[in-house]
Amino acid sequence: MNLAKVQTLSKTSKPKPQTRRIPVWSWFWFILGALYFILPLYATLQFSLQMKRDQITLLAYQKAFEDPQFIKTFTYSNILALATIVAGIVLFVPTAYWIRLRLPEARRLTEFITFLPFVVPAIILVFGMIRIYSTPVKIPFTDIELFQPLTTTHFGTNILIVAGYMVLAMPYMYRSVDIGMRTVDVRTLTEAAQSLGANWFTIITRVILPNIRASLLSGALLTFAIVVGEVTLASFLGVNAFGPYLFLLGQHLAYQPAALSFVTFLLTWMAMGLIQLFTGGQGQATGAH
Amino acid sequence: MAYLTLSHISKQFAETYAVEDFNLDIDKGEFVSFLGPSGCGKTTTLRMVAGFEIPTSGRITLDGADITNKAPNQRHVGMVFQSYALFPNMTVSQNIGFGLRVRKASEAEIKERVKEMVSLVNLEKHADKYPFQLSGGQQQRVSLARALAIRPNVLLLDEPLSALDAKIRVSLRAEIRSIQRRLGITAIFVTHDQEEALSISDRIVVMYDGNVEQVGTPFDIYNFPRTPFVANFVGSLNTANAEVTDTEKGLLNMDGVQLVSAAKMDGLKKGDKVRIAIRPERFSFASEGKKANVLDCQIENITFLGSVVRVHILVGKTKFTMDTFNYPSLALPQIGDMVQVTCSKEAVLILGEATS
Repeated sequence: MNLAKVQTLSKTSKPKPQTRRIPVWSWFWFILGALYFILPLYATLQFSLQMKRDQITLLAYQKAFEDPQFIKTFTYSNILALATIVAGIVLFVPTAYWIRLRLPEARRLTEFITFLPFVVPAIILVFGMIRIYSTPVKIPFTDIELFQPLTTTHFGTNILIVAGYMVLAMPYMYRSVDIGMRTVDVRTLTEAAQSLGANWFTIITRVILPNIRASLLSGALLTFAIVVGEVTLASFLGVNAFGPYLFLLGQHLAYQPAALSFVTFLLTWMAMGLIQLFTGGQGQATGAH
Repeated sequence: MAYLTLSHISKQFAETYAVEDFNLDIDKGEFVSFLGPSGCGKTTTLRMVAGFEIPTSGRITLDGADITNKAPNQRHVGMVFQSYALFPNMTVSQNIGFGLRVRKASEAEIKERVKEMVSLVNLEKHADKYPFQLSGGQQQRVSLARALAIRPNVLLLDEPLSALDAKIRVSLRAEIRSIQRRLGITAIFVTHDQEEALSISDRIVVMYDGNVEQVGTPFDIYNFPRTPFVANFVGSLNTANAEVTDTEKGLLNMDGVQLVSAAKMDGLKKGDKVRIAIRPERFSFASEGKKANVLDCQIENITFLGSVVRVHILVGKTKFTMDTFNYPSLALPQIGDMVQVTCSKEAVLILGEATS
């Protein structure tokens, strides 16, 4: 066979790169699933834009945002979310770290505990908290009061609600932290830092935390989404949070709750988008050998 | 007085002794290797020096001070890990400067020291890179520089070359040794690779099953192994059973073949069955000059290994290998030929009792 011809043929008839064909049924189920989520959202959006008859208007949004209670409750819920995130990091990061480093036998028990909020409804949690913390904290077998009932003061109630939110967010926050630590060789990094003279505080703040940044952010954003929309704890503890506000608004108004619901959806999706953005870069920055 | 002393160190995990009655004196500036198979206790011993394990019993003193129960971050030792253990969130410079920052050194001092260390390990062009951007060999050099930056009392290296490919291992181990010599730092190097230990150590501690088998220079360990384990583990070895026929003259009978050995036969008597060993490279062809032992043998196989030619010989009923240097005028016999090989009486080692 003529070699030149073969070479010419091979130049002109290069095989086309094969494109992956997605089966029709996959498209069907994908579209069906998307419609399941998008249709109600679209309906909510459409409804929220119809405050004036036969017009598309942002009046519902304007009225909602102008309500001083909206600003107040939304700000308050954001502060609670921030406090819950910080308290969660302070509690869960050292716990997960220590279990990974020194107490691997405690992992199963800890995982079980972190799943409890899925099993125990928030209503049970809040009734338990009210039952215990609505009475003064005394030294056992005496009448000496150490603390006034937490439910009788604003500060005490804020502590209670943050603690309650930490419990609700625990499955997400703790697991995010734990998964983050699995991607990092915690033990060897700790020993390396110790050999260089670092103490525990330095190790956690300068070595561990920076390397689980993406996981912390995931947990933080999930916590934010949970806290801002939470109703049960806030209602029963009598705090002026965004969840109860939204619920009450829905009792006597139509369009503004729809508008605020849509805004809440958007906020949650933004949080998810940020998670994707930041966790997408984690593999390169941490632990690649 | 020794700079670093490990005195009757033992480490017990549950019912098992990972290290048992370990004793060693290391002088300042000395490079000592702990050599042995996996599970022999070498890394556990190193970790006790680092402070990551507390000895069950015994004492560790460094420059006269007892550090047995001191926390790792107070011992001022530098450690290089098998997995490099670089901080992924820090650049090369930041990794190297970490220990100095922890010690609250001034920015100027940190900058100068980091520059010095980066230059020492030839990574000037990579100072601002992150670990994931470096090769394995480069990462290990950063790890070394980071350990040295704090001017440690002792440098501990836990199988630092195991994760690297063969060529990088050879070049990096020479570099490690060169840097250690230049800086005069006392170093302990853990490895399971005998070539690594033999090539760079001042002394080697051969360990097995938690115990020290032998401590000596590479030359002593290789040429005068004191236990069967050391003889078998370090270098290759021909072994066979033999019977003592004359303890004064050092005569042995190996299945009808007479051998003479220079090994001490204290505690042995005529008729005792012993295990003898001869290194392959101690044999030579008798045509090149006869030594104390001249053995008739048949050539079974010849393998050309480049600089070495490996000849498989049958001496009586015993199969041995003989390694001879390759050179152009080497007159190799043919397979099946009957030839004479020779070795000195010092080459015939007695390892202990005969085995089945």
